[in-house]
Amino acid sequence: MYYMLYAICFPVLTGLFLLVFRGLKNRKSLLLFTAAALAGASALVVLALCLGQGGMLTLFNLTERLPVMFKVDGVSVVFSVMTVIVFLCAGFFSFSYMEHEQNEKRYYGYYLIVFGVLIALCFAGNLITFYMFFEALTLASLPLVLHKGGREAVMAGLKYLFYSLSGAYSALFGLYFIERYGNTLTFSPGGVISAEMAAKYNGLLLGIAFAMLIGFGVKAGMFPMHAWLPTAHPVAPAPASAVLSAVIVKAGVLAVVRVVYYIFGVSFLGGSWVQYAWMSLTLATVFMGSMLAYREPVLKKRLAYSTVSQLSYILFGLSVMDKEAVTGSLLHVLCHSFIKAALFLCAGGIIFRTGKTRVEELRGIGKEMPATIWCYTIASLGLIGIPPMGGFVSKWYLAVGALGAGISWFSWIGPVVLLVSALLTAGYLLPVVVLGFFPGEDACPGGWEKKEPSLLMRIPIFVLTLLSVVAGLFPGPVVDYLSRIIEKII
Amino acid sequence: METVQNFPAISILLCLFAGIISSGLKRKAARWVNILLVVAVAFLSIYTLGYVLATGASYVYVMGKFPAPWGNEIRVGALEAFTAFFFCVIMLLSLEGGRKKLADELEEGKTYLYYVLSDLLLSSLLALVYTNDLFTAYVFVEINTIAACGLIMIRQNGRTIKASARYMIMSLLGSGLLLLGICMLYDLTGHLLMGNIREQVGILSVTGEYHIPLLVTIALMSVGLAIKSALFPFHGWLTDAYGYSTVSSAAILSSLVSKGYIFLLIKIIYRVIGTEVFNESKIINILFVFGLMGMIFGSLSAIRENDVRRMISFSSVAQIGYIYMGIGMGTKAGMEASVFHILSHAATKSLLFIAAIGLTDVSGGSRKFIDLTGAAFRNKWAGVAFTVGSLSMVGVPMFSGFVSKLLFAQAAVQNEIKMLPALIVLGISTILNAIYFMKTVIRIYTPVEDLKYESITFKNMRMYAVTLVLFIILNVFLGVSSQPVVDLIGQGLAMFS
Amino acid sequence: MGANLFSNYGEAVAMILFGIGFGNLLLQSNLIKKIIGLNIMDTAVYLFLAEKGYIEGRVAPIVVDGVQSMEAYINPIPSGLVLTGIVVSVSVSALMLSITIRLYRRYHTLDLDEINVQLLKEEL
Repeated sequence: MYYMLYAICFPVLTGLFLLVFRGLKNRKSLLLFTAAALAGASALVVLALCLGQGGMLTLFNLTERLPVMFKVDGVSVVFSVMTVIVFLCAGFFSFSYMEHEQNEKRYYGYYLIVFGVLIALCFAGNLITFYMFFEALTLASLPLVLHKGGREAVMAGLKYLFYSLSGAYSALFGLYFIERYGNTLTFSPGGVISAEMAAKYNGLLLGIAFAMLIGFGVKAGMFPMHAWLPTAHPVAPAPASAVLSAVIVKAGVLAVVRVVYYIFGVSFLGGSWVQYAWMSLTLATVFMGSMLAYREPVLKKRLAYSTVSQLSYILFGLSVMDKEAVTGSLLHVLCHSFIKAALFLCAGGIIFRTGKTRVEELRGIGKEMPATIWCYTIASLGLIGIPPMGGFVSKWYLAVGALGAGISWFSWIGPVVLLVSALLTAGYLLPVVVLGFFPGEDACPGGWEKKEPSLLMRIPIFVLTLLSVVAGLFPGPVVDYLSRIIEKII
Repeated sequence: METVQNFPAISILLCLFAGIISSGLKRKAARWVNILLVVAVAFLSIYTLGYVLATGASYVYVMGKFPAPWGNEIRVGALEAFTAFFFCVIMLLSLEGGRKKLADELEEGKTYLYYVLSDLLLSSLLALVYTNDLFTAYVFVEINTIAACGLIMIRQNGRTIKASARYMIMSLLGSGLLLLGICMLYDLTGHLLMGNIREQVGILSVTGEYHIPLLVTIALMSVGLAIKSALFPFHGWLTDAYGYSTVSSAAILSSLVSKGYIFLLIKIIYRVIGTEVFNESKIINILFVFGLMGMIFGSLSAIRENDVRRMISFSSVAQIGYIYMGIGMGTKAGMEASVFHILSHAATKSLLFIAAIGLTDVSGGSRKFIDLTGAAFRNKWAGVAFTVGSLSMVGVPMFSGFVSKLLFAQAAVQNEIKMLPALIVLGISTILNAIYFMKTVIRIYTPVEDLKYESITFKNMRMYAVTLVLFIILNVFLGVSSQPVVDLIGQGLAMFS
Repeated sequence: MGANLFSNYGEAVAMILFGIGFGNLLLQSNLIKKIIGLNIMDTAVYLFLAEKGYIEGRVAPIVVDGVQSMEAYINPIPSGLVLTGIVVSVSVSALMLSITIRLYRRYHTLDLDEINVQLLKEEL
């Protein structure tokens, strides 16, 4: 049982060690240490996933009714595998990228701590544990946003902090009530609200569910609390943005999954006003995020807006509360994290080699760094949802689920919005490709200089791109696994 | 009678004697007397606590040979003994943390007076905690005021003298109202001992006689103690008094003195008026509303503040608001949450004051935010301690502040009418707290290029660092294993009635 | 109501005095006037107590001529309280006066508002 604890504590402790310990002045030994810590932590996570399935570990009691406990279930597996892959790739990318940044040691320290906290979130067995690590995640990831220092970073960090804390409080607000009206705070498939209580306090509980969805939705960038995301993500160093955009926001998704399917339960929320309100919010976010991304000239910001939009795809699928749609959502969790991490790393590579941040400056970039831009292209196609990429499969499931679920006119408005947004996605991602590969005859008379980033930076991008393609070509086993999880909760 | 039953009375007398003896001692000797005294009282209190828990019931200790209803009495229950112990711990740590600063800021040859005053303060706090007689409570309230005023004024500059004048004036207004309330209560019931008054008040409330005078009395005493503990509209004196006095004084004043008055108020509610009568009166709603307002306006003032010490002081206003909100809920759970918050706030606020002084010291003594940039790198221990204190204030899990917020919210959920306002204001105030505390934390952890100020190493502040670590441990202890403490509070409150 | 007030005129006067004292202590900006207010307020409470302890036609509880009947004497406890209270208020007034002296030496005024103005100039 203690494997879970090791998997959580090891990265946190190594991270703290990096922050506190004065040694490791030599860059090489620092990198070796971090690499070893990342690899060790990942191995421990895998071990915990293999051995800890179904077990439960109660650490201590916060108060009588509030134990801090961990357990591993299917959802934990999905989210922690995603976390491990993205963290490994982005970590190795940063070894090269962070060369010219200051305070490298601090960066790796917090990077490892965030990793541990995320794993703890995946393993959290009840709402209070989840909440604790949710707050810890905000605080631990804040230094990544603040890393560059300066006024812009501090303002972005504060914005991130206040949005997250408001959201977390809104969720905590719900926790108080569930502690009183629910059977337990432990995540149990199908929910913890007894039918009797559900009937008696219907209005109150629905209101609370909505407050919790909005609250946890902050982390996932759901409208109306999305404004922090495009500010905070781009100011971080590129690998940190990748982690923020690909994994940390998924903590919000995980929270929503837990709240909807493991606390309130589909039978309670399905068909209520909360479901429809939530669905409308996600659809609004999908459209709005794509529009904003389309108008945004800075590449990293554009990618951050795209995250806002793509995350709401996932949330939309969850809000439909239909087996197919939820399968699509969880699949999109995986695909989006691989793709978005790859895209941010590509943007990082471009910044690292050329210092260019705006899209219109990227004329001819494909001639300068062809491998990177090819990866960018493939990943973009995946995000747009062109077969046979990963994004296509997940969006297909989403659309089919929405059409099949009995959710009145949302059944057709949902897929339409998703389609329009996919077109917009093409509109905001592909200009880089077009400009990059077809700069025009007169763009650079002197011929193109090769500026490909180092191998250590390219390999993570390759791996992530490859994964996104593989997810599209062979989705079978994953879909099977996901549907087995979903059997239990719907 | 068993020997242990004498301990509370002995500890009060011990403090008084120590104060008298110290006035003839040199600085060092007075310091050791003070340390020994606080440690001794802590041991006596914990021993008493053990005794009370073992017997499972509170006991009344008759001072002298006059039995009730004439004589003077001390009453000891689990909560009283525990609070006395806790106050001693906080006092010891606060004095230890500010010891170095004390030597710098006080006039040569006056340091022994500081220890005299703190001995007296401890005696009056203990008396407020233990006494069973209202008039004795009044007398010790005044002793407490005088000692506290001395603690503010002992650092001589214009600000502190003016602050102590304002503090005195507000305190005197408060104690005047309290005295009038006590006199009226005596007039209504013919008693001064809490137990006897309670019986009579019970009879009065059943017959409905003297309904309005009783309400007026409750109002007078509540408002009097509210003024003294700086509840929201009466907090004007607080920022100067906490902001400019020497750091130990600020820590002791914010975490002990105001808490002593609140403890007395809780005692009056339970032991003198009775919770039923108090809950029926409208006063409770007034306390609730002012508590809520304090939570918001205290934080708003703190956000506007550009001086870190004054900011922490304003945050005290907000925290006192929390406590009054809990009292104002009128439920057992609310009261438990309030008492827990008294402890948690005492532990956190003194930590913040002590940590802040470490940060300002490495910033050229300036308390302006702009100068504090990067201070946490210059004094690492203070930086970590300040961060821990801030996180606790914001209510991040694992620290004591979170547990008190949780308890408040659980109490609020049980009270259908006051639920929504309480939870909403809790939320707003959490966010506001986060704004100014996290702003400060980010500020002190922002690196600076030009090294204007020197940093300080562990060697030069051993005691200080150890104190901070102890404070942090106390905070985390209250945050992680709060259940025994909450149980103890519940048990103590049950013993009250 | 009116009759009650008239028969308890002592208490009524005490309350009015308390109000005057309280108002002075709260509102006056001159420190000496504040202290006078404080003393009026305290004295009013003592008057109230003494008035409550007094019983028409009886004398202070000092045994004279061997009369020991309870009916002969007034309630002694309020008198005791008054004595204690006087001690407290004397020490508090002394402390206030000493603070006033300190402030006057530093700022040459007794007015709290003016002191405030001067303090702002000091920029401490």
